[in-house]
Amino acid sequence: MTDIKLQARNVDVYYGQKKAIDNVSIDIDNGLVTAFIGPSGCGKSTFLRSLNRMNDTIADARVTGEILLDGEDIYAASMDPVALRARVGMVFQKPNPFPKSIYENIAYGPRIHGLAQGKADMDVIVEKSLTQAGLWNEVKDRLNDPGTALSGGQQQRLCIARAVAVSPEVILMDEPCSALDPIATARIEELIDDLRQTYAIVIVTHSMQQAARVSQRTAFFHLGVMVEYGETSEIFTNPREARTKDYITGRYG
Amino acid sequence: MILSAVLLAVLALGLAGWTFARNKARLLYAGRGSMHSMPVYHGWHFALWIVLPGLLAWGVWSVAMPTLVNGSILADPAAAALPADDMQRAAILSEARAIAADPSVFAFDPLSARLADPIRVAEGKWGTIGALLVLICALAGGAHAWTRVRAGFPARTRVERVVMAVLLVVSLMAILTTVGIIGSLVFEAGLFFKDVSPLAFLTGTHWSPANAHGGDISANFGAVPLFWGTIYIGAIIAMFVAIPLGLMSAIYLTQYATRRVRGWFKPLLEILAGVPTVVYGYFAALTVAPKVRDFAAWIGMNNPSTESALAAGLVMGVMIIPFVSSMADDSLAAVPRSMSDGSLALGATRSETIKKVLLPAALPGIVAGVMLAISRAIGETMIVVMAAGASANLSANPFASMTTVTYQIVQMLTGDQEFNNPKTLSAFALGLVLFVVTLILNIIALRVVKRFREAYE
Amino acid sequence: MSNPRWQTPAALRRIARRNAAERRFRLLGLGAIALSLGFLALLLVIMAKNGLSGLNWSFLSGSDSTDPHMAGVWGAAKGSLLTMLVTIAIAFPMGVLAALYLEEFAPRTRWIEWVEVSINNLAAVPSIIFGLLGLAVFINTAGLPRSSPLVGGLTLALMTMPVIVISGRNAIKAVPPSIRDAALAVGASKVQTVFHHVLPLALPGILTGTIIGMARALGETAPLLMIGMRAFVATPPGGLTDPSSVLPMQIFLWSDQIDTAFVENTSAAIIVLLMFLMAMNGLAIYLRNKFEVRW
Ligand SMILES: Nc1ncnc2c1ncn2[C@@H]1O[C@H](COP(=O)(O)OP(=O)(O)O)[C@@H](O)[C@H]1O
Ligand SMILES: [Mg+2]
Repeated sequence: MTDIKLQARNVDVYYGQKKAIDNVSIDIDNGLVTAFIGPSGCGKSTFLRSLNRMNDTIADARVTGEILLDGEDIYAASMDPVALRARVGMVFQKPNPFPKSIYENIAYGPRIHGLAQGKADMDVIVEKSLTQAGLWNEVKDRLNDPGTALSGGQQQRLCIARAVAVSPEVILMDEPCSALDPIATARIEELIDDLRQTYAIVIVTHSMQQAARVSQRTAFFHLGVMVEYGETSEIFTNPREARTKDYITGRYG
Repeated sequence: MILSAVLLAVLALGLAGWTFARNKARLLYAGRGSMHSMPVYHGWHFALWIVLPGLLAWGVWSVAMPTLVNGSILADPAAAALPADDMQRAAILSEARAIAADPSVFAFDPLSARLADPIRVAEGKWGTIGALLVLICALAGGAHAWTRVRAGFPARTRVERVVMAVLLVVSLMAILTTVGIIGSLVFEAGLFFKDVSPLAFLTGTHWSPANAHGGDISANFGAVPLFWGTIYIGAIIAMFVAIPLGLMSAIYLTQYATRRVRGWFKPLLEILAGVPTVVYGYFAALTVAPKVRDFAAWIGMNNPSTESALAAGLVMGVMIIPFVSSMADDSLAAVPRSMSDGSLALGATRSETIKKVLLPAALPGIVAGVMLAISRAIGETMIVVMAAGASANLSANPFASMTTVTYQIVQMLTGDQEFNNPKTLSAFALGLVLFVVTLILNIIALRVVKRFREAYE
Repeated sequence: MSNPRWQTPAALRRIARRNAAERRFRLLGLGAIALSLGFLALLLVIMAKNGLSGLNWSFLSGSDSTDPHMAGVWGAAKGSLLTMLVTIAIAFPMGVLAALYLEEFAPRTRWIEWVEVSINNLAAVPSIIFGLLGLAVFINTAGLPRSSPLVGGLTLALMTMPVIVISGRNAIKAVPPSIRDAALAVGASKVQTVFHHVLPLALPGILTGTIIGMARALGETAPLLMIGMRAFVATPPGGLTDPSSVLPMQIFLWSDQIDTAFVENTSAAIIVLLMFLMAMNGLAIYLRNKFEVRW
């Protein structure tokens, strides 16, 4: 049971004159976790950010090629980046809760998009999102504490809850565990596996173990090029490309 | 006369000494590492030993000589005719001194003409003694140092010690200035508060120093209308202009403008802070104030005055824009990018991100910036002097003429100054209040900014 | 086959409304800048309109007069020049030396902390307070001549020194430690290192700050009002102790004249003053661009 959620066709990304992504084409399926791996600086974040047009916010970044969400070109004039980003959420490397209360952190997205009818409705959304992110039991008694007062792992789950609160279709995660300790990392990994049922998930990671643990598909990037893409088990046990093999066996990176 | 000449002589001696000592030290030099210090340091060491004692003696003598000269003159028979009154006495003596320096000066008082000669003689005598003393000190210092021009002598260390002392003394100037400000304000304000009760000054609502005669004058020195005018113009009207314009400019420049546009507009905005305040004042008086008055008449006020709080406050607000915008600029830039990324990735628009995430996060820095701007505005003088008016009005009508603390300081100190007069002294009391308030605003603002910076580091 | 949730008329309307708000906000920002700069432009245009016709040789070479057509700006300009000479002669060396001491030598003691606090606060003290200081100390206590460039220059020097110290410290801080290490490693003493290597490298930055501080001093009026530098000078001052006026003071005095013919004089004097300030700031920018070293 796979259906294609996101489709990239011949995508190039430039920073000014510099080409950071070179001709990448990839299909990302619903119900699966897709991992992007590769040495740092190879363009994983850059490509990830082009999937919800976050690159628009960088002055000299330019994306060419086609990226289709449910068959619809996200760079078309008719696509509003505001609506797009509500459909394709994002979680960042460093937890970045807003300097507001836990409740307000979650309520922020639904409020700007007008997804809640009244306070009771919002309360439901907040509870549901925090529950989905596995945080509800830890914070239900202190929803008015500032989000920044939580531990690092909790902050990251808060950010996931914040993304979930606007009911996206895809969640992009850029090295979501790299700032966390192993226990917090394990919790997030469990969470990712749960969320896969509801959302298409793309995760960038520099840890091959993590990619192997959480993902069903893996794409290996090197120097702005997507070298290889396939079933995670295939990539790790039987890579087709020499460069992939070198990387996963630790020759470089 | 002779004293300035001897000063030059000391400096010349120092220069000559520098050359001699350096040359002598050079002769001592016998190859690699044979001396502790380079010859040039021996030159400096020697020159300093000539110049510093000479300067010291010169300084002491310059202070002491007028007393000595005065003593000589008063011993002169002609001085017996001097009036007993201190003031007249001083006037005649200063006239006599002027004649002594330049015989062509016309003498209003015949006595001063007779005193001129004794003054000349006394000045000549004491001047010569002083000059000799200065030279002796310089030469003695030189003689002492000359024996030190030896290979093993640590001339460089000694010279550097003097350099360090000079640096330290210069650095202490900042403290000295602060102490000077506080000291002079407190001292003169203290004299004022002997006549006027501080409570009446700080809480009274009636300000008319011109009517302060006779017994209890406290009632005429109620400064509340001045404080109100200052706050109304500087902290209310000016901020109504400066905060929105400054903040929105900073937002546009940091969040929307391309690097090129920012590169142009930011320096242009800063020009506003570089325009002298007297120019703003003139503009306020010449252009803005008449327009404000016309507007007041148009909305039906009868007989509006040319000078108005609104005109002064508006122009002051424009002057303050760059202060607000550059502080807001810094604060917005200090908010980590991940914060706005988080909001944008949720599908918030730029403006939603700015209003709901960036501004709240940058708020402490912006508030501190506004406090600095207010401190700037309430200390501003020329705009209010030229456009705000002299009447101490306790009114909330922006079209009314209103006076401020700085205006009254200027008012009290121009024209005749008598330093025993409470009217003049009140300027220092007002200055003290102004100094304390701006100081507090600055200290709080700098604290807030510092803590804000640390929060995001 | 796009998500229907975002295609309902209500959702589309909402997005359109939010985008409109976004455009309005952006326009508001642009408007704020335009308004601020428009005000600056208006000020300059009005001064140019009123004053350009008055800018001729007799205006530039004359001194103050009760007759607006005879009055000129040279007397005040010379007063400004003398005052600035005193200011820079005192504030520059002292400011630079203090900056060097604080940045390179000062031990971290209570005293030095007080010096730093003092400097930071002095930079924000209203200028009129410096005028009160000058009046109390230089005139009433030291007995120096009122209205003279000497007292004016001393007063402005006290005001300018903190600015020079602060910018000087920043310039010195920007010199990388490796330069100091290199000099110390070849056996230079700390004093030699600082004066031979650090100071020359920091000098362009210090000069930039000094020029900006001097430009501020040149435009100051309020403190000089306190020390009585509002003399009517029909002949340019001959020396540092002669009564004199300065350019901004001349503007202030003329602005008070009833005779409307003085409007032209005032505006023309403003143009002259702004020219000086522009030249100074231009020089500062030039120095910064020319000598700015990226380490
Ligand atoms: N904002 C930017 N401007 C210019 N170049 C950038 C920017 N962000 C990233 N790059 C460059 O693009 C390349 C890819 O970066 P990135 O996508 O962050 O790599 P990764 O996430 O795989 O470590 C790098 O060479 C990086 O230097
Ligand atoms: Mg990355």
